[in-house]
Amino acid sequence: MTLTSTQPAAVRSLRDRLRRRTLDHAAADRAVLVLHDVTKTYPNGKTALRDVELVIPEGDFVFLVGPSGAGKSTLIKLLIRDEIASEGSVVLDGQDLARLPRRAVPKVRRKIGIVFQDFKLLPTKSVWENVAFALEVTGTPRRRIRPAVDRVLALVGLTAQRSQIPSQLSGGEQQRTAIARALVHDPRLIIADEPTGNLDPLISWEIIQLLLRINELGVTVLMATHNAEVVTALRKRVVALEEGRVIRDEVGGSYHRVD
Amino acid sequence: MIGFVAFSLGRAWQGFWRNALMSLAATATMVLMLVLLAGFWIIQTGLLSALDFTESKVEVVANINIDEGPDTIDALGARIAAMPQVAAVTFISRDAALARFQQSMKDQGREDLSKYLDTNPFPASYEVKLKDPSYSAVVSDALRQDPAVKNVLDTKETAKNVKTVTDIMRTAGSVVLLVIGVIVLFIIVNTIRLAVVARAEEIEIMRLVGASDAFIRWPFVFEGAMVGLFGAVITLVFLYLLADPIGGFMVDFFRVLPLSFGSLARDLIVLVSAAGIGLGVLGSWLSVRTYLIR
Repeated sequence: MTLTSTQPAAVRSLRDRLRRRTLDHAAADRAVLVLHDVTKTYPNGKTALRDVELVIPEGDFVFLVGPSGAGKSTLIKLLIRDEIASEGSVVLDGQDLARLPRRAVPKVRRKIGIVFQDFKLLPTKSVWENVAFALEVTGTPRRRIRPAVDRVLALVGLTAQRSQIPSQLSGGEQQRTAIARALVHDPRLIIADEPTGNLDPLISWEIIQLLLRINELGVTVLMATHNAEVVTALRKRVVALEEGRVIRDEVGGSYHRVD
Repeated sequence: MIGFVAFSLGRAWQGFWRNALMSLAATATMVLMLVLLAGFWIIQTGLLSALDFTESKVEVVANINIDEGPDTIDALGARIAAMPQVAAVTFISRDAALARFQQSMKDQGREDLSKYLDTNPFPASYEVKLKDPSYSAVVSDALRQDPAVKNVLDTKETAKNVKTVTDIMRTAGSVVLLVIGVIVLFIIVNTIRLAVVARAEEIEIMRLVGASDAFIRWPFVFEGAMVGLFGAVITLVFLYLLADPIGGFMVDFFRVLPLSFGSLARDLIVLVSAAGIGLGVLGSWLSVRTYLIR
């Protein structure tokens, strides 16, 4: 399966635009995410991240790769402020997460949509309710919930399955439900943590295509993955972590270093 | 705000029934604990009113010289009433004392021996109720010094013993009640924690989609309150059904008139509802807190 041929023209042109923009010096001002000199040491003394520099401009699509234990999960925890950097700053949409008062954290999390390998859907709620849940628990008025949920379900192609509960869905449909939930807040950034880890290759491509389409709509996507085939085929920006350091950050990169 | 409360209540109701088994287990534990608490409360109340009753029987009787005139007797009464340790003083005239004796003989089905007497042998007396049984010695000593008083009947020893027993009972009762309260708190908190832990994933999702602490906490707190309320209602129904046998037991055992039952029932409703709802709220508050501190 060759990917370049299946890529829509719009995606390619966006990629080119982004490639130019990452070179742009003013890019940092428009960045969704800026990590500067970030080190994270856990209380047990283990250092998970060292001196990480990372700028993700608006509209970017970034693969985060690296072996298990390289620091991908820690990086994601810093972005959703589940953890706080020991040194350096993590700035999301102009806000320094370390200086954020605790009560402001939920608001920042609404700017991020997060998707996991294990979907994290509520098993007793229907597809529609799972997506609506994200809005209900953030105090969105009822009249605004219905159109927003209907819109994202149409976007991920689950309008027909809206009343089914997760156990009645395929793995791909469950992940699409999770993506719909991540999108329903109109986030600035989608973080996908091994979104295809539990899916077979064909369904994985389906999910990747969906993330690409969402990216085309202007949402920045950061995807942590072990899926070498996908990363290499798409030639997107690749940030590789190893032992807590960024060892490679290149646009149009492959999963493995090409020497 | 109304939307938030409606949301939290709705979620609490859903949460309660979605984890029906867990919620019913928590409610059952709550009922058990509240019955224990209420049962102990009833026993404690019965014991204390029995002791109060005994305490109220501690009094000093001053018999007055038979030949004292009414002026002296009135003056003595005024002096006794003026003593700071005295709660009440009742005058029993010689005729009244005789009548009382005759009545008691009649009640016991014995022959009225007084009909063989030419004159009334009973002295008039003052029955002095004390503010506290411990004043018994002071008051009876003071009365003995009084020239108008023939002799003093006091219950000094009884008073001392009753006082000791009451003090021990009150202290021990409060301590046991406190200990039971703490045990109940731990059990309830842990049961509710189980129910919350069963929904850890839901809490995690709420945090990840950016729900504020209040939106995560209050549905659980309301759910805890529901467990408490249901527990309290079931407990009260249970106690209501048992009220008659318990009442009979109390009257037999403690020899208290069921007079105080009105207030006991009221106290129990307040105690059981407050303890149930309070424990439920506290339990879920503490359980959810673990997930919110990050």
